[in-house]
Amino acid sequence: MKSKVVPTIKLYDYLLVPIQIELDDNTVERLQMQILHEIHENDVRGIIIDVSMVDVIDSYISFVLSETAGMAKAMGCHTVLCGIQPQVALTLAQMGIRLKDIITARSLEDAIDILDELE
Amino acid sequence: MIEVNPQDYDIVLKIKDESDIAVSRQMAKNFAQKMNFSLADVTKIATAVSELARNIYRYAKEGYIYIRKKEAGPEKATTIEILACDKGPGIENVELAVSGGYTTSERSLGLGLAGIRRLMDSFHIESEVGKGTAVIVEKRRRAF
Repeated sequence: MKSKVVPTIKLYDYLLVPIQIELDDNTVERLQMQILHEIHENDVRGIIIDVSMVDVIDSYISFVLSETAGMAKAMGCHTVLCGIQPQVALTLAQMGIRLKDIITARSLEDAIDILDELE
Repeated sequence: MIEVNPQDYDIVLKIKDESDIAVSRQMAKNFAQKMNFSLADVTKIATAVSELARNIYRYAKEGYIYIRKKEAGPEKATTIEILACDKGPGIENVELAVSGGYTTSERSLGLGLAGIRRLMDSFHIESEVGKGTAVIVEKRRRAF
C-alpha cells in the first residue's frame, strides 16, 4: 500500500485515526481507501476517527465519512467519530447533514467505552 | 448574467483544480477571521465557500469566487459578500436544486445549495442553461 494519508494507531482491536491535516477532496478519498485496507490487514473491529483538529466539515467530507463507515460496516466494523468541534456541529446541523452509519462520541475515552460495550 | 468587476473585490479565487476547493475554504476562513466574525460564523462562511467551490469544480469545471467586505443596510452593518460564478452548463430546475436532497451527481448528499442558504443571511442565485450560474451570498457580522 502507498504511503498513509493519516498516521494511524492500533489500540486493542481498534484503529485510531486522528485527522490533523486539511481535508481536501482527494485526501478524504485516499483516507477512505487507507482505512479499508487497514481494517482488512490488521483485523480491526472498530474505527475511531478523531476530528477534534478539523475546523471545516462540509457536505462532501460528511458524505465520504458516512460512506466509509458504511463500507467498514460491511466488513464487520463499527465507526465512531469523536471530538467534533461545537461550531462544526452547529454548521452540520444547520445544513441538515446527518452522519449516516456513524456513532458519535464526546471524546476518545468515550469512543473506546462505546466500542467496548458494542462487543 | 451578472457583470463582475474583479477590482471591486478583496479576494479573487480561480477554481480549476480539486485542490482549489480547500484553498478557497482556507482563504475565506482567514478573511472572515480578519473581519472579526465569531468562530461559529467563520466556520459557516468557510463551509459555504467550500460548497460553492465544489459546485464550480464539479459541474462547471472552472469558475471564480469573489469575496469582499462591505457595509450593508441602513445600519451599515459589516458584511461579507461572496459571489461564485461560472460559465458552466447552468441549472435546469433552480428551485429543485435549492430545495435540498436533490442532486445530479452520484457521490453527493444534494445538500450543498440548500445548506449554503441556511448558513448565510442572504442567498441569491441566477442560472441559465448553457450559459452558467452565479450565486451571491452574504453574512452580516453580529455584535458579540
